[in-house]
Amino acid sequence: MYSWRKLREKLFTCLIIALSVLAIAPVLHIILTVFVNGFAVIAKAGTSFFTDLPPTPLSKDVGGIAPSIAGTLLMTAISLPIAVTLGLFAAILTAEFPSNPLSLAVDAIAKPLASIPTIAVSMIVYTLVVVPMKSFSALAGAVALAVIALPYTYTYFSTALRSVPSVYREAAFAIAMSRWGAVVRVLIPVARKALTTGVLMTVARVMGETAALLFTAGRFRTGVSFSPTAPADAIPLLIFDYILSPYAVWHQVAWGATALLLLAYLMVFLATKLIVKEVRL
Amino acid sequence: MFSKRDKLFFLSLLPLSISLLAVLVVSVTTIALRSLDALQHFGLALFASSIWNPEREVYGLLAPVIGSLTTSAIALLTALILSIPLAITIAEYLQGALKSVVSSIVELMGGMPTIVYAVWASQYLVPFLKQFAMEPLHSALPFIPLFSCKPVTGFSVFAAGVAIGISIVPYVTTLILEAYQSIPVMYREACYGIGATRYESIKILLSLARPAIIAALVLGFARALGETTIAVTTVGNSMYLSSCLFAPGYTVSALIASQFANAYLYQYAETVLYSSILVVVLIAIALSFYGSTTIVRWRLRVVV
Amino acid sequence: MFAVEMNNVSVYIGDRQILKEVTLRTPYNTVFVIMGPSGSGKTTLLRVINRLIDLVEGARVEGFVKVLNFDALHSDPYELRKYIGMVFQVPNPFPHLTIYENVAVAAKINGVAKSKRELDEVVKWALEKAMLWDEVKDRLYDHPHKLSGGQRQRLCLARALAMKPRLLLLDEPTANIDPVNARKLEEAIVSLKDEVTVVMVTHSPHQAARVADYVAVLYDGRVVEQGPAQQLFLRPSTEIAQKLLRGEI
Repeated sequence: MYSWRKLREKLFTCLIIALSVLAIAPVLHIILTVFVNGFAVIAKAGTSFFTDLPPTPLSKDVGGIAPSIAGTLLMTAISLPIAVTLGLFAAILTAEFPSNPLSLAVDAIAKPLASIPTIAVSMIVYTLVVVPMKSFSALAGAVALAVIALPYTYTYFSTALRSVPSVYREAAFAIAMSRWGAVVRVLIPVARKALTTGVLMTVARVMGETAALLFTAGRFRTGVSFSPTAPADAIPLLIFDYILSPYAVWHQVAWGATALLLLAYLMVFLATKLIVKEVRL
Repeated sequence: MFSKRDKLFFLSLLPLSISLLAVLVVSVTTIALRSLDALQHFGLALFASSIWNPEREVYGLLAPVIGSLTTSAIALLTALILSIPLAITIAEYLQGALKSVVSSIVELMGGMPTIVYAVWASQYLVPFLKQFAMEPLHSALPFIPLFSCKPVTGFSVFAAGVAIGISIVPYVTTLILEAYQSIPVMYREACYGIGATRYESIKILLSLARPAIIAALVLGFARALGETTIAVTTVGNSMYLSSCLFAPGYTVSALIASQFANAYLYQYAETVLYSSILVVVLIAIALSFYGSTTIVRWRLRVVV
Repeated sequence: MFAVEMNNVSVYIGDRQILKEVTLRTPYNTVFVIMGPSGSGKTTLLRVINRLIDLVEGARVEGFVKVLNFDALHSDPYELRKYIGMVFQVPNPFPHLTIYENVAVAAKINGVAKSKRELDEVVKWALEKAMLWDEVKDRLYDHPHKLSGGQRQRLCLARALAMKPRLLLLDEPTANIDPVNARKLEEAIVSLKDEVTVVMVTHSPHQAARVADYVAVLYDGRVVEQGPAQQLFLRPSTEIAQKLLRGEI
């Protein structure tokens, strides 16, 4: 009886640990294969991978992904301020008026909003922006990205603001600060690290999103454009198209682009970790 | 007690902060309005067959809808098998540096662009699953309808389900971990107090967290339902409805990803696609609303 | 004339009545101590004076409160608070500001100092009054987390003083600091009464005896006794006050 109990304990532990290893294994294999395959391609292409246009399907040269890099930078730059501003205002509302019905509604809606498939957002923005503008555009792509990021950005920010101890708020009002004064001079500065982390996580989400761009950004791969109203490409979009294509050289480009995207993501992720680790002031 | 200045402050926040509500309303309304044509013209017959023939304006969405539900169910099973042990390991077995490393890896997985999963899944996971899961299952248990067909390419409902499942593991793990760790210490102490072993105490704590774990799985299902990039690259994209998991299929989002671009050429193709996503959006919103409120209610009851 | 005057003040939070028909009078330029066991409503009473009670969800105040020349319950709380400094139970200097900035911010937003030179002077004055200047004058640009708990609390006192308030509210300011620092803070408080009226909450009769000019005893939301400190300490007339002085509640 006693030994069965002991044996069961051991078996259970082994099973749990083994399944956990299995759960973690994919991500390690992903990082390994993406970097091994991708960096080989980038090394072969050299710096032209960042400056050239993508190859034709039967080309021998790998070429580059310059239009996609430009598009990702442009759309991230447009969507980030939108998502951050709207997310911050909503987070301030729910942090300052926690039991107001409107705050409760905003808070309850964040998760359902995040559960709307990103491809649906792409279709919605297609109807509301692309069709009236009569053209795909970086702007339409950025709007779709901002909509997708918004519930996440709001959640990061609202967690950050709510983690500020109430004693600082009281101190702010006790020295006769106004509501906005307390928010701008105390609430936001005290939470600044968590807020910065939230901004970085928004960047990570925005730059890696694929489906939202399918019917919004267009796939402009014949030149480098920084015009918001013109069609644009994005790195994830290029990867998506190329990995589904039957051409070997496009597969290679897809691997290179995936490695670049993953590297960028890892750097942003690392930055969030460093911010949190830094000595608390 | 609200003073006049408090009211002004509230009003100054209002226009921008109701954006979340506005986005939700506008989104659902837009999709619903665009679906109207298809729903009026075809009615529920739209969901009774599986056909995509825009030249003749004949459509049936049964296969992709079933495909979405099936892949999500397989994804859920995958996440269930992997997430609960991972959450237990982090909460119970790991300490110090290793614990924070593993937690960071889970976080890293959670934010990783799905296109990275998609590339990896289509190039490595599908062949791997074909060789080590689908073929053995088919040769061992061919009489079970789910395993009855020989995997040809490997790209299939099964592969898409597992791939999506792997991608939602971090999300589900985080939700379960949050619930598990928010169980007050007194319950844990009570477990050891009655002489429970670690296995026994984990069992008790898991049963205590069961509503929250089920809610986490519901949220995971909602997320799997809408996954697009991984689905398109692994599901095989075939309109053929099969009882076998190893045959290529479709999901709603995969169908849209491959058909929406040219749909404007036909009278009903676009609105049919909008009505297909309407179904998914409504299910996803309902499930996630249920899931998140369940977790909140559970926390109020257990954690206090 | 009184700095704080309360008539029949009741406070409800949700369905619970925290204060019950409190009536009290605080003469100008005195140290007025509110004593009472924990849970008697002392902190709530203090927060009615500067309307921080507004921040409490579901709080309702009834009665008449006159603070300085304000009808406190019917004035703009943000205007009212300009004249009232407050130090809290837990030291709460702003963690993102330096020692200098912590004090300066209070002076700046209340228009106490216009130029940089005036600001420097106010900061120095406030830190001296709080008996902290000598300890921090060489590291004004450090952040407060480098200070000890007692020093932080005196920094909070300096921050409150930099507003040049006419009324100072102290909510058990020595509850979370060591005895040496507590003594310094008490010294600073006593030396302040030429410039401000001090209303202080404490549960320690000894501290009350050291600093108080007037005392009010609060028990279960009611003022059970109030009067000049000496009289109350020598001849407490109610049983509750006697018990409190003996340390029995």
